[in-house]
Amino acid sequence: MSDRPVHEHIRDLSDVLVHLSEKVLKNFDDALTAIRNQDEEQAREIRRIDFEIDLAEVGLEERCLAFLALQQPVARDLRMIVTIMKINDDLERIGDLAVHIIERMPNIKPDMLAMFDFDSMGRLAADMTRKSIEAFINKDRFLADKVCALDEEIDSIHSAVFKKVATLMKDPALNVDQLISLLSISRYIERMADHATRIAHEVTYLVTGEIVRHSDISYEKLIQSLKD
Amino acid sequence: MQMTAEEKEISMDTPAKTATRDIYIPSERKSVSGGGKPHVVAKDFSIFYGDFEAVKKVNADILSKYVTAIIGPSGCGKSTFLRAINRMNDLIPSCHTTGTLRFDGEDIYGKLTDEVLLRKKIGMVFQKPNPFPKSIFDNIAYGPRLHGMNDKKQLAEVVEKSLRKAALWDEVSDRLERNALGLSGGQQQRLCVARTLAVEPEILLLDEPTSALDPKATAKIEDLIQELRGSYTIMIVTHNMQQASRVSDYTMFFYEGTLVEHAGTSQLFTNPRDRMTEDYITGRFS
Repeated sequence: MSDRPVHEHIRDLSDVLVHLSEKVLKNFDDALTAIRNQDEEQAREIRRIDFEIDLAEVGLEERCLAFLALQQPVARDLRMIVTIMKINDDLERIGDLAVHIIERMPNIKPDMLAMFDFDSMGRLAADMTRKSIEAFINKDRFLADKVCALDEEIDSIHSAVFKKVATLMKDPALNVDQLISLLSISRYIERMADHATRIAHEVTYLVTGEIVRHSDISYEKLIQSLKD
Repeated sequence: MQMTAEEKEISMDTPAKTATRDIYIPSERKSVSGGGKPHVVAKDFSIFYGDFEAVKKVNADILSKYVTAIIGPSGCGKSTFLRAINRMNDLIPSCHTTGTLRFDGEDIYGKLTDEVLLRKKIGMVFQKPNPFPKSIFDNIAYGPRLHGMNDKKQLAEVVEKSLRKAALWDEVSDRLERNALGLSGGQQQRLCVARTLAVEPEILLLDEPTSALDPKATAKIEDLIQELRGSYTIMIVTHNMQQASRVSDYTMFFYEGTLVEHAGTSQLFTNPRDRMTEDYITGRFS
């Protein structure tokens, strides 16, 4: 087996994706720090970085499309390019979530924020994303499965936040807008974990050629969540 | 395990399920009514040139009315296998076969098989267009005449029908008496297809039919294959893997005389089961 320039090209696209993931993860982490410190300057920087992420996402997509048109890849090369394009999309959306978090900053006071442990939740979601990218780099299906399993943990944390906010809303002394903003932050972190799970599914497709996104297990989970 | 009708329906539409099935009709192509029966069946079928085993114990079912592409590196035995189906290899003195190769249940290499009749039922088009140095009309009428058709009206009908099927009628209907060698390369190749269709075959064997044609003429031949799919069982040997993926329902990958993988084209080009197939189609073959 010998690698040709075309396969080096695929590796290059893969490297660009991994670099983008590092930028996205840092921006998301910074967003949680900015809201904790009520740091307006850092919030502006997060918006600027997100603009760079958007440009990088479009740039990588254009390169992938050109590769599809010019090289017409098949089999694992095709699955690799398709996976890069899909993960690229997920990363860009995680980037948007960081901006959504700082958009909630004016509504939230530090004492209310301190009632919720978003740092731990954010670390777990970031860890899932990091692991899903690691699974992509190493084409590690088992690590991808582990990421999927972690999603339930995030879901239960989000569910606990929801219940806590619902209880606090009954207190007329508390500001409802602020509580809704706090719930939104929990929702954005939970969505980040959803994207990490999607990335893990995409890695499974890359490795096995099987699309597991809407597999029976996912379906059963969906039905269960609707019942809950 | 028995599946309910509902489960069966879901399994046809769910890519994750179809990817694990043995043989499946690619979802992006319509299934062919009345097709899908084993038309040519190879059982431990080997072809030798003297002592050299060029095709090794092939076991395969070629399904009726679908398009099957044969791919593989030069010298892998793909053309030898194709030519064996209408016994074109008989022309090579040292060539002999073992195992069985059946067409509609009849042994192609059986002692009672009439080769002329076999080649009427299984037509072939070659790499380079090879029209006879005769008029367009006579090229098409040649086969039917050989098989005893002499009525002028009947012959004219066959010529028109065959040229229409080969998507050539509109281009040559006003010059049927002109020499076929005056046609362009692409037109000559479609004329060869029309000539094959004139004797009403069941199977069309195409041995790299577009390798000598420009992209426009190639596109016309590929369109023609899609038109004929569903009416004829088509087997095409090609070095152009994009062509194989564009025109075929099933693909066979040969390497050093062995049939390495035979699967739905969509599966073989997205998720081949054999590492050797994957390395070949992604250009990693050393």
